[in-house]
Amino acid sequence: MADAQIRFRIKRQDKPDAAPYWDDFVMPYAPGHNVVSALMYLREHPVNARGRGVEPVVWESNCMEEVCGACAMIVNGTPRQACAALIDQLTQPITLEPLSKFPVVRDLLVERERMFAALKQVKAWVPLDGSQDIHEGAPRISPVDQSLRYLFSRCMTCGCCMEVCPQFHEDSRFIGPAPLGQVALHNQHPTSTYFRSERLQALMEPGGIADCGNAQNCVKVCPKDIPLTQAIGELGRQTTVQWLKDLFVR
Amino acid sequence: MAEAVAGPLDQHHFAIRRLHSLMGIVPIGAFLFNHLLTNSTAFLGEKNFDDHVLWIHHMPWLLAIEVCFIFVPIAFHAVYGVVIALQARSNVSRYGYGDNWRYMLQRVTAWITLVFIVVHLVHFRFAHWFGAESYAAAHPYFLAFTQQGFTMWLPMSAWMVIYVIGLAAAVFHLCNGLVTFCITWGVVIGDDSRKRLSLAAAALGLLLMAWGLISLYALGTMEARGPGGAEPAHVAQHEHLS
Repeated sequence: MADAQIRFRIKRQDKPDAAPYWDDFVMPYAPGHNVVSALMYLREHPVNARGRGVEPVVWESNCMEEVCGACAMIVNGTPRQACAALIDQLTQPITLEPLSKFPVVRDLLVERERMFAALKQVKAWVPLDGSQDIHEGAPRISPVDQSLRYLFSRCMTCGCCMEVCPQFHEDSRFIGPAPLGQVALHNQHPTSTYFRSERLQALMEPGGIADCGNAQNCVKVCPKDIPLTQAIGELGRQTTVQWLKDLFVR
Repeated sequence: MAEAVAGPLDQHHFAIRRLHSLMGIVPIGAFLFNHLLTNSTAFLGEKNFDDHVLWIHHMPWLLAIEVCFIFVPIAFHAVYGVVIALQARSNVSRYGYGDNWRYMLQRVTAWITLVFIVVHLVHFRFAHWFGAESYAAAHPYFLAFTQQGFTMWLPMSAWMVIYVIGLAAAVFHLCNGLVTFCITWGVVIGDDSRKRLSLAAAALGLLLMAWGLISLYALGTMEARGPGGAEPAHVAQHEHLS
């Protein structure tokens, strides 16, 4: 395997408003590479397949163990974490593209602010105690509930579910599947139920849960196996009840 | 200009979406079921069909019912449906999951059904605006009149193709819409319950499709006797020749 190679085909973009183009790279094979470690090698040897010295490919990564969400990109047509994409399991040449639903900053680096804005919009957090305790003692959670919530808590805001969602794009206001999963999680948390109605009302705004088109792609690509469609079904029920409450009780 | 329209639409966004979802099932889905019921009486015989249509024509408040429970809901569902359909960026070529195909087909069948309903209304309900005989004049020989409609303007084979496509699109859109309705309103939540519901909806779809097809078969092949119970013209001619 002395002459074995790893071949890449990378979609590049020099700056946010520049036109994208493809650049091919070839590097020597070494066992155990993943896409991020291979990109690190290319950063040290920034020469494309035609032997021309180029600017190193820009990408984002942190944890290298598929928990931070930073290195999400489209690998061979599928959005996933580059650090968990093992070269030995990929068909070559390996195509790398930035997530298409977010503005490209440079090469494979995208601006995912829209997702974080959505998390703020739906108050996807547990409120801390104020000037007084808001609960007595530690809230009890059954192991069954805990194991479901653990799944939702694994969301790393990587954006893979947004990438495959046909309802989420630059011309739509849909907040996308990931923030919906976080609402489902936080609406179950004992102390977090204080925001329950506010979260649901935020979800009933334009771009909220009613904009889901039930394509159900999100759940199929989630690298953390988060039951997003279950969250959407559950929130459909909760918003139905909230809507009727707002109509008849308030 | 778009901003001015966006105001009340945004303010009642959730309610409008839920209304759109509900309208698809009640009254439109219920109407489709009733329409297929009426059509299928053709399969049971000319008298069955004529009697049933006559009964409908004798319903009190018929025009009000037609406008409030058929025309207005379909118009709302169609117009707002176009708004929704235009927001989709279907990606089945890249992500060919079954559910994604159904998402795409739900929108494709929506367009087909919309065109088909317009054609169908012009063909039968408002044909007299376009120079054809009014359906009211058919009274009480509705089956004979309907059959004439299937040879008006186009050959019967062409009409049959149009109606089979329209039927299939409408039935798919309703049955898949039944599933998405149940997800939207929170009737089903988990994956297993959704799969069970999808199977039930598929079975219902096949049933409705078969029901619609036997109606079209009856309309295409039955020999209506028409006014005075006379033999159909071509049968009489055939006997005369022999």
